[in-house]
Amino acid sequence: MTRFRIFAYSGVLICGIVALAATPSSAADHIIKIGALLPISGPGSYFGAQDKQGIELALDQANKAGVGGYTFEVQYEDSSCAPLPATQAAKRLIDEYKPDVLIGEECSDATLAVMPIIEQAKIPLINAGSSSIKVTDPGNPWTFRIMPNEVMQGVDIATNAYKRLNARTAVLLHENTNAGIGNANVFADTFTKLGGKVLTDIGFGRDVNDFTAIATRIAGMGDVDVIPTYTLEGQGLKITQALMQAGVVKGGGGKAIQLGTIWLPFGFEQKAGNAAIGYIRIVQFDPTDQRPLVRDFIQAFKAKFNADPTHLNAHAYDQIMLIADVVKRGGKDPQSIRDKLAETKDVAGTTGSVEFDKSNQNVKMDTVHYMETKPDLSWVSLKWN
Amino acid sequence: MISIVLQQGINGIVIGSLYVLVALGLTLIYGVLVQINFAHADIVTLGAFAAYATTHFFGESYVVGIAAALIAGAALGWLVNATIFSPLRERGSELLPLIATIGVSIMLQNAMLALLGPIPYAFDTPYSNHVLRLGGLFLTVQNMLIIVVSSASIILLYGFMRFTFLGKALRAVAQDRETAGLLGINSNQLIMLTFVIASALAGMSGALLGPVLVLTPFAGTSVIVKAFAIVIIGGFGNIEGTIIAGLLVGFIESFTTQFLDPGLIDIVVFALLLLTLAVRPTGLIADKREENV
Amino acid sequence: MSETSHGADRRRLSGHSIVRSRHFRYLLAAAVIGLLPLVFTTSYWRTNLILCAINVMLAIGLDFVLGYAGQLNLGQSAFYGIGAYASTLLVTKLGIPFWAAFALGTVMAGAAGALLSLFAVRLRGHYLAIASLGFAVITYQILLNWISLTQGPLGIYAIPPPPPIALPWLPRIPFTNLANFFYLTASLALIVYFLLDQMLRSPIGETLAAIREDEISAASLGINAPKWKAFAFAASSAVAGAAGCFYAPFVGTLVPDAFFVTESFAILAMVIVGGMGTLIGPAFGAIFITLLPEVLRSIGDLRLILYGASVTLVVLFMPGGIMQAWRLVRQRLFFFAEESAT
Repeated sequence: MTRFRIFAYSGVLICGIVALAATPSSAADHIIKIGALLPISGPGSYFGAQDKQGIELALDQANKAGVGGYTFEVQYEDSSCAPLPATQAAKRLIDEYKPDVLIGEECSDATLAVMPIIEQAKIPLINAGSSSIKVTDPGNPWTFRIMPNEVMQGVDIATNAYKRLNARTAVLLHENTNAGIGNANVFADTFTKLGGKVLTDIGFGRDVNDFTAIATRIAGMGDVDVIPTYTLEGQGLKITQALMQAGVVKGGGGKAIQLGTIWLPFGFEQKAGNAAIGYIRIVQFDPTDQRPLVRDFIQAFKAKFNADPTHLNAHAYDQIMLIADVVKRGGKDPQSIRDKLAETKDVAGTTGSVEFDKSNQNVKMDTVHYMETKPDLSWVSLKWN
Repeated sequence: MISIVLQQGINGIVIGSLYVLVALGLTLIYGVLVQINFAHADIVTLGAFAAYATTHFFGESYVVGIAAALIAGAALGWLVNATIFSPLRERGSELLPLIATIGVSIMLQNAMLALLGPIPYAFDTPYSNHVLRLGGLFLTVQNMLIIVVSSASIILLYGFMRFTFLGKALRAVAQDRETAGLLGINSNQLIMLTFVIASALAGMSGALLGPVLVLTPFAGTSVIVKAFAIVIIGGFGNIEGTIIAGLLVGFIESFTTQFLDPGLIDIVVFALLLLTLAVRPTGLIADKREENV
Repeated sequence: MSETSHGADRRRLSGHSIVRSRHFRYLLAAAVIGLLPLVFTTSYWRTNLILCAINVMLAIGLDFVLGYAGQLNLGQSAFYGIGAYASTLLVTKLGIPFWAAFALGTVMAGAAGALLSLFAVRLRGHYLAIASLGFAVITYQILLNWISLTQGPLGIYAIPPPPPIALPWLPRIPFTNLANFFYLTASLALIVYFLLDQMLRSPIGETLAAIREDEISAASLGINAPKWKAFAFAASSAVAGAAGCFYAPFVGTLVPDAFFVTESFAILAMVIVGGMGTLIGPAFGAIFITLLPEVLRSIGDLRLILYGASVTLVVLFMPGGIMQAWRLVRQRLFFFAEESAT
């Protein structure tokens, strides 16, 4: 019988641990519960760490006075930038935290994997980091994206490259990820249709370290007008420096202009140095924006974190502030928050304004800010939109 | 076209000599211990961060940074041998130390992530953006430094192994531990010495790699998998073979990028690895060691 | 390891207690499997249960080749991926029914394992470890780069669950229901466990042990070591492939990153922490390693540090893993009870 006793003991112990882990935090009536699906562990924590800062700042501000009697609470779950952990994190949030609204993920695969789950649970999801077109096309009624998708950004930048920069030849550089390939393909399609020529399309894994070989290859291709580059800060820095060393881009005495979308944060040029001169790219957050909303955000962010905000900080901040706006308009549970979200019209955020179309994609192009790096490494806004 | 081939050749030598430095440590350890240290990657990462901290926080010169990386690497190597390999050696298992170091590696990476954060560090030395140009060719002073420092260390190591008493003793232990013991050679101390030398090399290669690769807590991992391939292609425990294989992998990397696609680098390298194992399991260079084959 | 003494222990005590009977243990396992989804009713915990079942398959599969045949195979992530991609592509591209695709995916992973065993025949120890690691790297890169076939990093989405099963006298069993999906994967894991267990109790087990201990003496006993190694590799990778066939419809999304080489290390950790060279140990190891990070979610980053530390500490201080710990605890707690029973 002793054997059964130990079984019983361990059973009780396991149940206790499980119960402890599974106990939902106590819910007060006037709290809007926000579940945040962020990559917090592994290399993807690059996103999560910055998102958290934006969220914390937004919570400070929104909770100071509350919105219509409501305050906001955020529960973070590590979704690790990958489908399986993201579905795990989403299910855990939904089952145990029972959020009124969710925000996240950054990586497209993770967001796409989570979408069927939140649709089934009927909890709205606000996304500001995944550029894959599939998030909103076809999408689902519960998923909203406040940033421009890969098609909106790609078509716009390719058109501007052809018409404003008079570019006729391009070399595409992209990391071999969902977002990297997607963005590069849209650029190539648009650019070719306009009459430009894509000389080559070079994809690389996230483990590639030395970009000198790639820069050498591009240097050997003759005249290249633009080099649209889709990769994150770490590899982006190495690429830009290698292109300078190979004498391809303006910073290295060449004539090619590097183009890019939202991948690189503010402060990139200080790290890249002269190599960044002439780089033109879409930024979702323009720190030179003179709207009071943006000035206040930058000031508050600096006061709290003693650093300049990045687009990731700004996106996370905007997501919370959009929820606050929805609550002001009468959203109070998942269904009403979804409905009010869908009705969003011209709500201003630090990255631009928000208005959703039928597929819940933000249609406002004022979220697309073009900037160019000047020889003194400062940013200048190009008024292309 | 010729200048492109030459340029890619130079690129291959730069990255290849870095791989050689990392792989030499692995092969040295294998030579005396017949063991693989998976945490070798994290010694490289630690070296890179040690050099970064020395130059960026304490304002010392890059050379001091390289020395700091060397010391940091040696210290971590000493620790890994003292806590993992030494105690497990008595149990005589072939696979347990390897598995334990996989655990150490996961632990170190995530500890560094918790301390240093996930945002890549921009490690620029005064030489990073100083470009030398000759005809159509270009080489940064940093990369020239990489070639010089790694060739010097490789030559020093080679001379040490060939011509000094300690080096000969190490090779004696590598060939036959029991006989070496009879000859009065303390193999435990020699193994520790090998470990420290190998890890110092890894730390130093981290200082050289830091400005080249994307410096995050996972930086060493991207290099180590190729280093394993190099060690096998060159023949485990074979120093000449490792040097040749390392440069070969460097060339594969630059020429695959030029003529095929950078996405295919790993496939080409590891296909070569499997081919080597299938045709000549002792490595490209003939070697006496046959016991694991 | 001490499984020989363990075996003797079992023989000595068999028949003294119904609890020790193997049939009873399988019945108990089946009962536990039946009850679990009734205890854990949220979709989050049921998802964890399914993941445990899949990982149990991966762990006992690896243990078969590592713990019994003594071959360190770091390519398990590749076979897992081959099973997942092969079965999914057969369903989505060729329209083959799920269960046929399941069989084919399993066979393909097994065949890939047999292919890798060509190296195992000539290589031992570390060479084999690195060769299999190389195989895992190549497989991952192919999944990543062959975009026209696998979609590469673009991913495959909305993979449907297996079609409902219509058993006689029972209502149709749909697998959109997580509890049913768990019953499906857990029964398969139990069947795999049973098959491996039967094999290891047959002369095959002794043959593999002979090869593990000393290949040369095994050959002198007339054992064809290459053939048996190939068999162990094929069986082990087929099990990983079968697990992969369930992974795809379970997650619903397939990206190559799920089968990166670090997945091999995770599977290895399950075997080590559980106790290699026993089947039940790695099964518990898989459950432990799967649930540990979930239970530790609140400590964030530290959970992976803990995970690495647990693998290291187990190897250093308790190389028999959970099973060794269990035997120690049992000795302390039941010493008197067992003495009186004998």
